[in-house]
Amino acid sequence: MTRIAYREPEAMTQQARELTNARGNLNVYRALGNAEKVFTGWMVAGNAALTSPVLPVRLRELVVLRTAYLMDSPYELGQHRDVARTAGVGSDEISAILSESDWKEGSFNPTERTVLQLATELLTTSSVEAETFDSVHTALGSEATVELLMVISRYAGLALMLNALDVDLDESARLPIPPRREPS
Amino acid sequence: MSRIPLTSIEQQPEPVRQWMARRGNLNVFRLLANAPHVFPGWTQMVDELFDSPTFSRRMREVVILRVAHLQNSRYELGQHIAIARGGLTDQQISAIVETEDFDAAGFSPTECTALDVTTELCTTHRLRDDTFAAAQAVFGDEALTELLMIISCYYGLALVLNAVDLDVDAQARFRPRGGAQ
Repeated sequence: MTRIAYREPEAMTQQARELTNARGNLNVYRALGNAEKVFTGWMVAGNAALTSPVLPVRLRELVVLRTAYLMDSPYELGQHRDVARTAGVGSDEISAILSESDWKEGSFNPTERTVLQLATELLTTSSVEAETFDSVHTALGSEATVELLMVISRYAGLALMLNALDVDLDESARLPIPPRREPS
Repeated sequence: MSRIPLTSIEQQPEPVRQWMARRGNLNVFRLLANAPHVFPGWTQMVDELFDSPTFSRRMREVVILRVAHLQNSRYELGQHIAIARGGLTDQQISAIVETEDFDAAGFSPTECTALDVTTELCTTHRLRDDTFAAAQAVFGDEALTELLMIISCYYGLALVLNAVDLDVDAQARFRPRGGAQ
């Protein structure tokens, strides 16, 4: 049971309310909306990550699921299982990511596998072997590598907040994936 | 040695250059500016965290230093030990990043509660009922959620910095009071 009262969108500033409603008015946003002096900036940063055209949505969702699993966040797993399915991740692939090492054998392409390796090292040891980092950097380039690290960063940090507040998974509402911006 | 080339400040768009001029021309910003689709949103988040009047600068630095230590982030420690020297004693800094003897270092009860929350959350990824209840009683819902936002930001950032093995800036320091207003 969520440990704090939800902040309903009607009680938010206009910008925070619009961002919350556009993202499905999920429990996570109504819980974090309690921090009204910093919530809008956090939402703006999230919007930028969700609408950026740089990372393929499928790759992003693989990493989000792996992060949710390693951070032990039932809320992120509950939301992003469905988002990942929408992004073309199969049920077998989801099961593989949500296991200790089955993803090493699954149907993932070499880039996806090396990205999952990086996420796993980073979230279990707080660092990354030079060889792992170089293979991701070579495959993705600098811009997408930094975005990838920002995705891990955001969802790892979010998992802490969700777990601390013990936010209930929404019964049916799921994160709508906004259209991506055009590449600049 | 940074595993990703740092962007040059001169090549940034004007709003990003102005933001860096306010907050510091730091390696971390030159690194993250490699991702121009997400960097400006991230800077707005940082501005709100540091411009908010909810916590004292000292309290924020206590929490950030603790996260930096628990995440083993050389870069965050390098930056924030220098910043924390403005408001914390050497004994207090060493308690946070080394000895963990908070009682002897003269932290306030509120700071001790924040340190407990930070330590338990970063090491176990959750909070026990009694830890949460104690923190909620001290801070209330708004400040407690904002405290979690600070922990979240620095916990995640440490992962980016460690992955890239970013070099600590020789001189430049982050400016907590570099808000636009």
